[in-house]
Amino acid sequence: MTKAFEPEIVAFCCHYCAYTAADMAGSKRLSYPANVKIIRVPCTGKVDPIHIMKALHKGADGVYVAGCLEGDCHFKTGNIRAAHRVRRVQALLEEIGWDSRRVEMITMSAGMGERFAQTAREFTEKIRELGPSPVSRAGQEAGRQAVS
Amino acid sequence: MQEYNDIYTEDQGNQAVLVIGGGMGGIRAALDLAESRRDVVLIDKSYAIGGLMTQLDRTFPTNNCDLCTISPHLSESGRQLRMELKPMTVVEKVEGEAGNFQVTVKRMPRYIDVDKCTACGECAEKFPEWVRFTPGLDPRAPTCMRYPQATPYAFSIDAEKVTDFDALQQVCKAGAIVPDDCEKTETLSVASIVLSTGGELFDPSVLDNFGGGEYANVVTGLQYERIMSASGPTQGSLVRPSDNKRPRRVAWIQCVGSRGINRADVPYCSSVCCMYALKEAIVTRERFADDIETSIFYMDMRTFGKDYESYLNRAVDEYGVNLIRSRPHSIIENPETGDLSITYATDDELFHKTEVFDMVVLSTGFRISAENMELARRLGIDLNAHGFAKTGGFAPVATSRPGIYVCGVCESPKDIPETMIQASAAAAAAGSDTPVSGAAVEEEEIFAPERDVSAEPPKIGVFVCECGAEIGGVISVEKLVAQARAIPGVEVAEAVGYGCSGDSISHIEQQVAGHGLNRVVVGGCSPRTHEIKFQDMMRRCGLNKYLVDIVNLRDQDTWPHMNQPEAAQDKAYKLVEMGAHGVSKAHPLAEHTLPMNQNVLVVGGGVAGMNSALVLADQGFRVYLVERNAALGGLARNIRKTLQGEDVGAYMDELIERTGSHDNIQVLTRSIIVDHAGMPGRYTTGLQTGPRMHYMQIEHGVTILATGALAHRPPQYLLGEHESVMTQLDLDAQIADNPESIEKLEQVVMIQCVGSREPGNPNCSRICCQSAIKNALRMKDINPDMQIYVLYRDIRTYGFDEDYYREARKRGIKFIRYETDNRPEVRDTGDGLEVGVYDPILGRNLEIAADRVILSTGFAADDETTEDLSVLFHLTRSDDGYFLEDHVKLRPTDMSVRGFFLAGTAHSPKSIRESITQGQAAAGRARSLLTSRFINLGAAVAKVDGDKCAACLICVRACPFHVPYINAEGYSEIDPALCHGCGTCAAECPARAIQLMQYEDDHILAKLDGLFERMN
Amino acid sequence: MITAVRKPMEEIIACVAPYDRILLVGCNECVSVCSVGGRKEVALLASALQMHFLKQGKTMDIKEITLERQCDPEYVEELVNLTDGADAILSMACGCGVQTIAGRYREKPVFPAVNTTFMGASERQGVWSERCQGCGDCVLGITGGICPIARCSKRLMNGPCGGSSNGKCEIDPNIDCAWQLIWDRLKALGLERRIEDIMEAKDWRTSRDGGPRKIVREDLAS
Repeated sequence: MTKAFEPEIVAFCCHYCAYTAADMAGSKRLSYPANVKIIRVPCTGKVDPIHIMKALHKGADGVYVAGCLEGDCHFKTGNIRAAHRVRRVQALLEEIGWDSRRVEMITMSAGMGERFAQTAREFTEKIRELGPSPVSRAGQEAGRQAVS
Repeated sequence: MQEYNDIYTEDQGNQAVLVIGGGMGGIRAALDLAESRRDVVLIDKSYAIGGLMTQLDRTFPTNNCDLCTISPHLSESGRQLRMELKPMTVVEKVEGEAGNFQVTVKRMPRYIDVDKCTACGECAEKFPEWVRFTPGLDPRAPTCMRYPQATPYAFSIDAEKVTDFDALQQVCKAGAIVPDDCEKTETLSVASIVLSTGGELFDPSVLDNFGGGEYANVVTGLQYERIMSASGPTQGSLVRPSDNKRPRRVAWIQCVGSRGINRADVPYCSSVCCMYALKEAIVTRERFADDIETSIFYMDMRTFGKDYESYLNRAVDEYGVNLIRSRPHSIIENPETGDLSITYATDDELFHKTEVFDMVVLSTGFRISAENMELARRLGIDLNAHGFAKTGGFAPVATSRPGIYVCGVCESPKDIPETMIQASAAAAAAGSDTPVSGAAVEEEEIFAPERDVSAEPPKIGVFVCECGAEIGGVISVEKLVAQARAIPGVEVAEAVGYGCSGDSISHIEQQVAGHGLNRVVVGGCSPRTHEIKFQDMMRRCGLNKYLVDIVNLRDQDTWPHMNQPEAAQDKAYKLVEMGAHGVSKAHPLAEHTLPMNQNVLVVGGGVAGMNSALVLADQGFRVYLVERNAALGGLARNIRKTLQGEDVGAYMDELIERTGSHDNIQVLTRSIIVDHAGMPGRYTTGLQTGPRMHYMQIEHGVTILATGALAHRPPQYLLGEHESVMTQLDLDAQIADNPESIEKLEQVVMIQCVGSREPGNPNCSRICCQSAIKNALRMKDINPDMQIYVLYRDIRTYGFDEDYYREARKRGIKFIRYETDNRPEVRDTGDGLEVGVYDPILGRNLEIAADRVILSTGFAADDETTEDLSVLFHLTRSDDGYFLEDHVKLRPTDMSVRGFFLAGTAHSPKSIRESITQGQAAAGRARSLLTSRFINLGAAVAKVDGDKCAACLICVRACPFHVPYINAEGYSEIDPALCHGCGTCAAECPARAIQLMQYEDDHILAKLDGLFERMN
Repeated sequence: MITAVRKPMEEIIACVAPYDRILLVGCNECVSVCSVGGRKEVALLASALQMHFLKQGKTMDIKEITLERQCDPEYVEELVNLTDGADAILSMACGCGVQTIAGRYREKPVFPAVNTTFMGASERQGVWSERCQGCGDCVLGITGGICPIARCSKRLMNGPCGGSSNGKCEIDPNIDCAWQLIWDRLKALGLERRIEDIMEAKDWRTSRDGGPRKIVREDLAS
């Protein structure tokens, strides 16, 4: 009954660039894996390390934060701060024995639909290779078990 | 204090303004007018607004992506209640006069009902063989949406190419195809007209020396822009057309068709090509590969705009763009390889050189089309010798016909920031002819009072749009809504056909009322385009607009995953679950509005400041004009004549007289600003005024900064040491006041760029080339035998001023170029002056005996003033001490602090005419804020929970806009009026004491819960 | 302010591994300000620990609470109804907080999650430097406002030593020589002659050398 592993991926996308790029990928019918689910934020500067950790904790197999290209942030430096926070979460994951590659920071401009699709593909492929996260693996084994 | 001025008359007279042309200039003018509560009709001959800018890849000098910068403006224009957008519409004739024009317009058939079209692109997908082309390399469908953020968000059909309308109709599930659409004519009654039809780009295919359009790898600047663009034909990969290979060597040839006297040339300078060539070269190296060699062939490098000189320096020093001062005669193609060879000569080489390039970009400039000249005839306005709308030196946006104003490239070649400035000035002028639309209903009154739902458990309605086959054809919407009914809190879930159609929306409204729903999830297309529509729906239902969540099922699910319907179905359900969980935690939010104080503070009583003051005072606003000096006038008082020969003195006398005697203007001379407090819409500023430095306070809603710049006088070339060495400003006065002293001069040497384009004052002073040529020509008028030498680095007579440069050369004025590593020398020989300079064309040093040495010293930023004021008002400055505007491209007159506007040389060096334009523009921008009476600050602001706050200062330090501060109670406070809503503070707060409204932590975590609920 | 850094996760994990239910307690005072033990760090640590143990196949029950100040018994009293549901307490406060909790809830094992480091000042966002060692007899008034005890690597009272080179310390060339700073400051104040005054041997009894210290304010304590 083993079903092929389909990773669940959360992408925190800033309104001005990455979210718009995702729309553009759609309007150009550029295919990327349906595993990616977007949560819109005004700026990647809003993405708290807790949001990333909670996403993993609740069962995401991978999380990425997608913001504007460096220098293009509509709020000046939100994307740079987000990149720092992603690095912090990566370090924390290493410390608790998780693979830090499950978390990534990606940048793009609003016009880069192709880049959105391509990075979504690459990230999904990478997570597929890493396999289910310890939480989703535990979840699968333990059935419906509550994780607050 | 006068809170509300008597400007809101209930006048039912003619209130509308017609804006012709929906490019950036037209959009800006129309938005300004609509924000100032004037009714606007915006017409454009094309099927979507946006004009030329939407085809650019990135814009100088910030190298930002254009789509990102423009799209907020476009959707803004789609929303404006007072704006009516008429694409594919042209002017037939204009009758009547200012205040009461009757304009007959003709609407071309679009063959698509814009209200029904959902922009799914299905028609374009099915019938790619019927192609309508936009410039150059752009492969497009017959139903052509020019770019993904098009406004209106709908396609259009090129009927001439369509052979089977039935097939097309069958493809369109929305039933939007109208095969029998036809031309429609109507008459508009308007008070004034703004012309913003832009220009065309020169088509170089008439030039056989550059291949006559036959060489595949010779492209225009705009085509190259499309090749680099992510939304262009190659989807953002830089390849040359002949073989789709990445070029290794790219050359740009400047002034193709401009600054020439040969066939097909126009004599004027197009003003933007140097910058766009530099931009394309920089982006080529920065974004694609830094091993691509980029060379620009040019005559004079004209980087005269704000901070453009540093852009030029960066291109050369950081990006290694190769600049070659030469105008190549021709390009030869190797038919085998498609490679292109250019043979050229330079000053310092004895022989011709030949180089081979993979691609050559022709930097083509602006032209006025025959169509536009015909339009001018219909409007009854005069054109200048080059076919551009004629305006006056001191009335930069007024055409020859009263009531018709002009902005943008159809007035003269210019870049986007200057177009935006002129557009706001034109809107200011056009709006002054019309009363505020007093009868217009206040927006709030349209909507039902809001129901308090805070005590109710979530009762959610899920409405999923099928969007024809766009969603419904990929996933089963029925299955999705059946699943959605099981989500906790969901009361109703159903499919709604075309969700954004009027029928569906009223159906949803009925469901909300019938079931007593308090939250709504709409599954459909992107919230970026449709959120506002459904937010308005919520308000009609008496619900807070933030209690709806738009789930992006189309653009982010069924479109990209159309080939994996199963995965798309699963994702659709998860997205709806996220939406439902999220919306159940959504909080009703209040948008912050504050009443505006209606008074205006103008700082600086020069040309720009007085123009701002007069526009607003004429409209009935109370203006305080604060001037540091004892008299009004500023720097322009020292100037006698413009290059075009207009009398500056007479203009200034009249301007000062009108300003000083205006009932609504209080002039405060010898006044300095000492303190400032308040929030947007309600500021209090303290001054010390008069000879006794008496302290007073002014309450005002907006502030216009027009503090000017300084006339530079660097102690170089014996300036201040020898009486015959003087500045252009000194000479200007002497020519007017004492022409006898000029008559006896035999040899005069002028030196350009003295103290400008140098470390310490890195930018070009913009006016000096014109001043030098102006004074040289005036001296020639007095004494035709006088020998005048102009020692220069680049002659920057942009636009039509190129005519005077040509005339100067024709009249024997000698221009000798110098390099910064070999500057001219001015020597005092005891009985006169001698100037030594190396002439690169003769290849030797010259010694010129000079009766006078005239230094073009230009401007220096008034560093002290801008620094003091930037501290007081919390404003930003550029590195070289000018004020820094909010957005250098699209908001050149707005400061980053709301309610602050910028005009004149405090922004950057400018001519008198340009200062007048920006002075009027600042008044127009200020008026759009003042007339709204209230200032809406949105809901997405950060809020601090004082009980949790540890006063750690992290938010204070992290905020990119320096908004949070520790208040008297000892915790952080964030002024909602100043907060930009990025959420950085919320994400940094170690005590989790800050929440960004609309994106609260519990809201985001609830979405995650929705996504992972089934798993856990 | 008291500064601290989080302990390596490995060490924290080893402490709590034997237990199933943890009460994780943050502090909204110094450790919040230095971003190591406030609500946010508590939430992150809770998630991190739970995620670690989930990987081991164990579900760890972690309750999060952040007290206004862990070094005051009244605030620590707020835990009274929570400790029963926990097998162990993990504190993210400084050593003072950890001990206040340990003193109050004697039946529960209490573990520190941070290493309390020094009394310091913020230089800028994210950078803290040691400024005081609590010697109990402040000399800042005669050393130009720069503490030779906290900032001289050798705690010299009559410096500098021979290892001061170009204003930097020989122990660590990245830090400024405190005595160079003192000299510069005194010179700026026109008090450079003071450097020649010999400071007598310091009486360290007011510092830790006199044993654990205590302050009793009669006016307040009565």
